[in-house]
Amino acid sequence: MLAAYRKLLRLYPAEHRKLFGEEMLAVLAEEHDENAGRKLIVRGSIFLRETSGLLAGAVHEHFRSFTEIHDELSFVTGRFAMRNGFRFPKVTIVFMLLILGGVLTAIKKGQDIASSVPDVNPPLPVHIQSVHSILLGGMPLFFAFFYAAGLIGWGVMFAMRRSGVHRLDQVAGDKQPNH
Amino acid sequence: MALYDMSHTAIMKQFPLTEPVLLILLSLAGQPQHGYAILKDVERMSSGRVLLSTGTLYGALRRLLDDDWIERFEEKETSRGRQAYRLTPQGRRNLQLEIDRMKHITRLATLRVATKES
Repeated sequence: MLAAYRKLLRLYPAEHRKLFGEEMLAVLAEEHDENAGRKLIVRGSIFLRETSGLLAGAVHEHFRSFTEIHDELSFVTGRFAMRNGFRFPKVTIVFMLLILGGVLTAIKKGQDIASSVPDVNPPLPVHIQSVHSILLGGMPLFFAFFYAAGLIGWGVMFAMRRSGVHRLDQVAGDKQPNH
Repeated sequence: MALYDMSHTAIMKQFPLTEPVLLILLSLAGQPQHGYAILKDVERMSSGRVLLSTGTLYGALRRLLDDDWIERFEEKETSRGRQAYRLTPQGRRNLQLEIDRMKHITRLATLRVATKES
């Protein structure tokens, strides 16, 4: 039974196992010892209860760690915790490249608009007005597009646990083994 | 552990507590307990009606720790140095709030039922 429990505990997220794994196993062992002399049917029902509890708990913990908005990066509370041991996640490079791409595209768009305006001295007021309106209308759209792309990208990386948040969480967990 | 104090609204959103969570908090209200003792105490308090599995217990303990309602410490008295849990002042306050809420409901229910009968 304990071997089965141990295997089921492996289904939990690593962070949860690190914090509670040994303790949960000790509780299961204590319960197992106390009920060792009881009827098979009683032991069977306890085993079923514990097995289903561990399975449901593992699913719940994975779901929780997947959906949790971390305090360290909470847009709700507006708190962004800074750490001495700050790491530079690889995914940041991707986002920086994405932003660079956005800036380069905006420059290119600006050049295209500039070249489309006839080089007349003095410039015609009608053309200048149209360039301004294009820029003013286009730039927020560009920013919105790249911001949305960045958010979606971050969401995907977070779902794949590659955003660096989980790693930072582990670093925090290492520093605070007890709550 | 929560990095910030929970607002009143945030706390009130957690009520009513589920029966297992309420029983876990009541179990810790008397004295600090370790995991297995909580399981047995919950079973005793509910006359065997609420049988928590270890997975359910630690899921609830995890949430209560995250919300700063309980805290974890190492029992020095035992040779094994087990982890035990106790209520934080915030947890005790919130438990009292829930008990007051339940008292109010019970009073109201008693009055309403008595009115209907008479």
